[in-house]
Amino acid sequence: MTLRDSFADAFKNLFANKLRSGLTMLGIIIGVAAVISMTSIVEGGQRKLVQSIERLGTNLLFIFHASLTPEEQRKFAGRSTGHKYGDALAIRRLRPELLVAPILQFKKQLRAGDRDYSGQVTGTVPEYQEVRNFRPAVGRFLVQEDIDEWRRVVVLGRDIAEKLFGTGSALHREVKIGDERFSVVGVMEPKGSLHGTNYDELIFVPVTTTMRRFTGNDHVNFMLVHVPNRDEMEAVTRDIHSLLIQRHDGVDDIRIRNQGEFLKAIDRTLWIFRIVLGGVALVALLVGGIGIMNIMLVTVTERTSEIGLRKAIGAGRSHILRQFLIESVSISVVGGLIGILVGIGMAYGFGDLVARAMPGEGDWGAVVLPSAILASFVFAVLVGITFGLYPAIKASKLDPAEALRYQ
Amino acid sequence: MLIRLHNIGKTYRTGGGDVQALQGIDLSIDRGEFAAIIGQSGSGKTTLLDILGCLSQPTEGDYWLDGRAVGSLSDRELAVVRNQQIGFIFQIFHLLPRKSALHNVELPLQYAGIPAQERRRRAIDTLRLVGLQDRLAHWPNQLSGGQQQRVAIARALVNRPAILLADEPTGSLDTRSGREILEILVQLHRDGQTILLVTHERDLAEKSGRVVTLLDGRILADERREAGDPLTQPSLVGSTNRVETAP
Ligand SMILES: Nc1ncnc2c1ncn2[C@@H]1O[C@H](COP(=O)(O)OP(=O)(O)OP(=O)(O)O)[C@@H](O)[C@H]1O
Ligand SMILES: [Mg+2]
Repeated sequence: MTLRDSFADAFKNLFANKLRSGLTMLGIIIGVAAVISMTSIVEGGQRKLVQSIERLGTNLLFIFHASLTPEEQRKFAGRSTGHKYGDALAIRRLRPELLVAPILQFKKQLRAGDRDYSGQVTGTVPEYQEVRNFRPAVGRFLVQEDIDEWRRVVVLGRDIAEKLFGTGSALHREVKIGDERFSVVGVMEPKGSLHGTNYDELIFVPVTTTMRRFTGNDHVNFMLVHVPNRDEMEAVTRDIHSLLIQRHDGVDDIRIRNQGEFLKAIDRTLWIFRIVLGGVALVALLVGGIGIMNIMLVTVTERTSEIGLRKAIGAGRSHILRQFLIESVSISVVGGLIGILVGIGMAYGFGDLVARAMPGEGDWGAVVLPSAILASFVFAVLVGITFGLYPAIKASKLDPAEALRYQ
Repeated sequence: MLIRLHNIGKTYRTGGGDVQALQGIDLSIDRGEFAAIIGQSGSGKTTLLDILGCLSQPTEGDYWLDGRAVGSLSDRELAVVRNQQIGFIFQIFHLLPRKSALHNVELPLQYAGIPAQERRRRAIDTLRLVGLQDRLAHWPNQLSGGQQQRVAIARALVNRPAILLADEPTGSLDTRSGREILEILVQLHRDGQTILLVTHERDLAEKSGRVVTLLDGRILADERREAGDPLTQPSLVGSTNRVETAP
């Protein structure tokens, strides 16, 4: 009895009981489809998130001003009040290869002609466009001369430009920020939202101009630093930290986070998803396995006299064992294959649904991982073997004489 | 000597106590013999045939098949013995319902590991022997009872067994088909096949050269005759009981 003969027999038996085989397979189909669709959807979501984060620049350090406890405030009274523009210049002097963008943000009334709008103003430097990977579509971004000469120029986010100037060109037009007149030198490319910030509603002015015209001091809110060499991230973090403590009169009110930490946090959240969803899928597969075991036990009982006959004409225990094992594995293999197709269909169907429900978010694009297909298929086969084993052993151990007389 | 049984006993252990199905059986069968086993229902005929066919093991005594002590064989070796040396025919045919006549006959050859082409050739040859060469692709349920039993005979013969064991092969057939089956067995015997036939019917038994009568698990009589002669007077084994044949 070759393996091929055994498989031919197994499929003949499965086909003879189409409805029963189909229902038994259903558990495996659902389990495998669940694994594949869920991992694909989570994977797609993760890639989208990572992409959108990386779209805002890579190898980034975020330098925040940490709020002090009341004790620390008393202790350090009058010594440090956070980051200053000079800190950014000092970092740049310390490590010239870094791109440093100090950022100063505040709300102001904007006016162009008869249109009014309350907007978020960002004072920054030319490096910002490199660091954030965010560039003008029309005109130019800020340049060094704007900074050096405190020019009253402004670069508008796309949505703001539309709000203030409609469909007409905004270039070289005048915008009043508070009481100051600014000239539009550029309009940014569309970027969309991330983490609650709509980048298309930002407007950029030279950081020096903001300090001079609006805040009247040299404080900035935070700084972004792009590190060209990813391996240098830690060393750079240390260097900046000690430099800033020195510059802040020994007060450690500095928090430096890197993008990797954000990505790791996302990863951690998604792993929780994966584990929960994977657990659900696993339970589905196990239930499918119990279904297989149940049906195989029925089959063995129904075919007791066949087993007796096969033994009478020369089947050994191993032949019978193999025959029934192949039958249960065939159920799980066929179920697994169908489950793979259904799972892929579900994953893409879901991606489509999301794309339609949230047009602004772009295409979710479920990512079907070959490793998920392989793993769920292997698992399905293992389920077939595991749950088929007991019925097959039972069949193989039947006493041939008694099995033949069984009615 | 093909088969030798010495002091064979078989006790079934059941919930309602032990059943002594066979006891003190001594029996030898030579190559080429055609022997019948008769006896009342429950006298142990099937039990004896099961032991002879290595389907079950005796609880007492020794069994040599072709010089080999069967009691010392492993499960795997027993399967090979059943495959190579024994051919079974049953009252209820035991054909696999989802296989054609040809595939049913090929089955023992599959377990013997014969390549597909030769398997097919030999199965067709054997089906021709029982007159079914034009029913190869028929399913069992498309065949008459007599034809099904002929397929079963072909399946039993296809591996050229040393002995053919038939347990009431005509039991579920009408008289005419039963007679045809018996004719096939007689012809096979003429061609040299060793056959052991279990039957209820004395007149069927008399087609054979030897009639072994069982009663309550013991051999009551063992009668031989030369071809064509009437049976010799029953030689009584045991003492007082007369031979009683089943109706
Ligand atoms: N598996 C079993 N468990 C318990 N007792 C059994 C079993 N098989 C057979 N017996 C008993 O053994 C005895 C002999 O049974 P066996 O089937 O050999 O008789 P038989 O001569 O073939 O009868 P029949 O002509 O009705 O087929 C009977 O009393 C039967 O009840
Ligand atoms: Mg019987």
